[in-house]
Amino acid sequence: MAYKLTDEGKEYLEMGLPERNLVKLLESYPKKSVSIEEASKKVKNFHIALKWAFEEGWISKKENQLTLVKIPDKTEEEMALEKINEGKEVKEEILKILISRNLVIKVTETYKRTEEEIKRYGNIIGELTHDIIITGLWKDRKFKAREVEVVRKKLDRKKIILGKRQPYNHFLLQVRGKLVELGFKEMRGPTIETEFWNFDALFQPQNHPARDWAMTFSLSYPKYGKLPSVSNKVKESHEKNWKYKWDPKIAMQLMPRAHGTALSARTLDSSPEIPGKYFAISRCYRPDIIDVKHMIEFNQVEGIVVGESLTFKNLLGILKMFAIEIAGARKVKFVPDYYPFTEPSAQLSAKHPQLGWIEFGGSGIFREEVTKPLGIDVPVLAWGLGIDRLAMFKLGINDIRNLFSRDLSWLRNQKAVR
Amino acid sequence: MPTIEVSHKDLCKLIGKKLTVEEMKDVISFAKGEIESVNDDLLKVDIKDSNRPDLWSSEGIAREIQGRITKNKGLPKYKVGKSKVIVKVDKKVSKVRPLTVCAVAKGLKIDEDVLSQMIQLQEKVSVTFGRNRKEVAIGAYDLHKIKPPITFTTVKPDGIKFVPLEFTEKLTPKEILERHPKGKEFGHLLKGCEEYPIFIDSAGNVLSLPPIINSDYTGKVTEKTKDLFIECSGFDFKFLMPALNVVVAALADRGAKIETVKVVYPNKIVNTPDLAPKKAIVDAEYTNKVSGLGLAARQMCQLLEQARYKTKLKGKRIHVLYPPYRQDVMHQRDVVEDALISYGYNKIEPVIPKLATIGGIDEKEIFSNVVANVMVNLGLQEVLSYALTNKENLFKKMNSKEERIAEIENPVSANWNVFRNWLLPSLMEFFSNNQHVDYPQKIFEVGDVILVDEKQETKTKDKRKLAAAISDSKVDYYDVLAVLDAFMSELNKKYKLQKGSHPSFIEGRVAKILVENKVVGIIGEVHPYVLENWKLEMPVAAFEIDLEEV
Repeated sequence: MAYKLTDEGKEYLEMGLPERNLVKLLESYPKKSVSIEEASKKVKNFHIALKWAFEEGWISKKENQLTLVKIPDKTEEEMALEKINEGKEVKEEILKILISRNLVIKVTETYKRTEEEIKRYGNIIGELTHDIIITGLWKDRKFKAREVEVVRKKLDRKKIILGKRQPYNHFLLQVRGKLVELGFKEMRGPTIETEFWNFDALFQPQNHPARDWAMTFSLSYPKYGKLPSVSNKVKESHEKNWKYKWDPKIAMQLMPRAHGTALSARTLDSSPEIPGKYFAISRCYRPDIIDVKHMIEFNQVEGIVVGESLTFKNLLGILKMFAIEIAGARKVKFVPDYYPFTEPSAQLSAKHPQLGWIEFGGSGIFREEVTKPLGIDVPVLAWGLGIDRLAMFKLGINDIRNLFSRDLSWLRNQKAVR
Repeated sequence: MPTIEVSHKDLCKLIGKKLTVEEMKDVISFAKGEIESVNDDLLKVDIKDSNRPDLWSSEGIAREIQGRITKNKGLPKYKVGKSKVIVKVDKKVSKVRPLTVCAVAKGLKIDEDVLSQMIQLQEKVSVTFGRNRKEVAIGAYDLHKIKPPITFTTVKPDGIKFVPLEFTEKLTPKEILERHPKGKEFGHLLKGCEEYPIFIDSAGNVLSLPPIINSDYTGKVTEKTKDLFIECSGFDFKFLMPALNVVVAALADRGAKIETVKVVYPNKIVNTPDLAPKKAIVDAEYTNKVSGLGLAARQMCQLLEQARYKTKLKGKRIHVLYPPYRQDVMHQRDVVEDALISYGYNKIEPVIPKLATIGGIDEKEIFSNVVANVMVNLGLQEVLSYALTNKENLFKKMNSKEERIAEIENPVSANWNVFRNWLLPSLMEFFSNNQHVDYPQKIFEVGDVILVDEKQETKTKDKRKLAAAISDSKVDYYDVLAVLDAFMSELNKKYKLQKGSHPSFIEGRVAKILVENKVVGIIGEVHPYVLENWKLEMPVAAFEIDLEEV
């Protein structure tokens, strides 16, 4: 194994180790003694000198005064420096000390190669390495030029793969942020719901076509959940208005949430703030033909606005605000719509700068038959936004299933700036 | 919800005004309709209201539009005569299909449009409103081929023979259920019945086997038919009366004269149809409270007349009469909506309510976002997967024991019939889709899994989890541990590892992750059995932790 002196090592070989220079200085005074202040001015690397001379017991220190104790013979370290300089072998333990003092370095393969290259090509350095820096080999030499106008091929080897957020998730985060800015508070609820929260609490009668306005899944296991205490009032409302015998067993049947409105019903039942504005971005499930436009699992953005003296005008106002703030639309259009739990109901179309008119939301004022049993005596505006089409446009996706992309290349290729 | 087909020309004729397709697109929203496609004269219209069967035909759509854009406003009037037709209801039907309501329509000029609308309306009403014929089955017959009185009774499954529609040979009801396409489709509605319901006339001719099929002789309506006998059968007058009214109102709009039929039950007599208008009272102040428009009561009346109501103002109360084909008016709110539709939604000024509220993101979402950002900073790609999956992915391919999980009763695909109870299979599936993409592949998902939990109201619990996985030609436990360690450090969480065992991971290279002495997750090198199941050729090291426990 080859070793080499570092720049510092070479300096000490020539000028003497700092501790040896300190000894020499003390020797030059008649009393073999000098103040620290004085010595520090005259000896280079004084603190290194003090540390080693003191540790070896060559000098003593009393208050501010240094005094020579003994003049050492040529030390092993001094001899080792000479030997290494001549390319001779030295003892392992001495090497360790010198390496730790950064006076000697192990000559690595790269260093050797560089040295050979320098010999062969003249004063040119290829790779700039740790060894070359600390041995000073780079001094007075030039560096081999790189192909700075890099060719693609060269870079492929060094391509950085970034970690990135999933783009659709990122889009949903932006929508979430926007809704919070507009003063909406996020609601929470379970993915698996009872039919009670999905249908009954929303005044959709059992065994009636109004319940079929959307097809739904049900669970075979677990099959039945529990009914909340408010179910008694909901039962009353159903039996009085729809005139049939309400069956708790049907309401207990479990199903994956078919619409975010289930969360609105839960929120109304849990003493919401009045006035209050709430939203949810929720995974919903409905049986459908799976194709480029339909998937059985999807996200819905929905919410409610609860407050004294809210009107249909306000409902349209809220919808227009969403169209402008979230879809970036300039114009809006409303048409009559139907939901079993709202009356009046309205559909929102927004004129998107690129997409043209898009159906952007469904909405309505909750029926009193919905709100009263849940203990709410003020108007509740309910709204839902169809944001997937917007997401698909923003992300350049034609197939709705690709919102949950399974394509790693595509995910890696998404840009921070579009 | 129902999608219907109407002729553009026919619809204009019924409205009494020529409209271009563009104009039609606009005004059809008065009937909550939306034109989905146009094919020459044929318009495909989606009617959004699933509780207004009267809107599911040209005639019904035309009535709504007429009121808004022509002089034909107010209550449509239906004169009802009295026919001599009697239907006797045998008490035997009470066990299988207890009720029927009937009507006669005379002097109908049936052309192609009339016939197609009639058939379509019957179909939509019995399928969508009548819940696939369970609650309402409708039959229309050539009155001249029937010898009243008609009896609604039951027969043994092989007790009679007749030729059903679309067939040429005589079949017993049992044979119809087995062989006729409609028998196969709707036969389940008669499952378990010892005898089957049947309409039969005094000459012994079978009219129909409800709710399955009409006979070919009496039940075939063609362009030559002039007078019709119509029956609806089911279990509840609440469904049957409006269904019959919807059908006969459409025929009346086509010029037919409607006559009642005397339906004789063992204990009562019911004359149907009842086309008398229905009554409601609306408070003018209430309508403004809902709309925010501040309309005068008189103006409200005008708007309601356009929506085919008859109105009479008594002080601040509007007494309204509305058409007998409507069964959806339950609350004065329902009447208000009709007035607003007349007013025109786009003439209403949208006003953002001035409500001072403070917005906020749910804490679970805030934390998930922090977690995802840390993982991205660690160089991992976020992925998003469906929570719906299948047992093969969750258990078999993962080489692990099957557990009780939430299962769908009516799946549309065997690929998506259960809810995941852990995330790692989603990541494995992702790897298997991307073997051609450059390695190393480092991915993670923050998402919900659904666990069965008897204590919960919904017997299940959503759990927010994090799973991370690394795959490369050479990857080991320590590679993924480095990610976990940096992640925990970023979350400022102390954790411990404890030797573990899991069938998805290599024995001796898997550990439980503990935070505050509680097991919160698992980390390890995925077993090559599992890799083979996913057809993966690169090793995978992964961890999964419960974010609600750290």
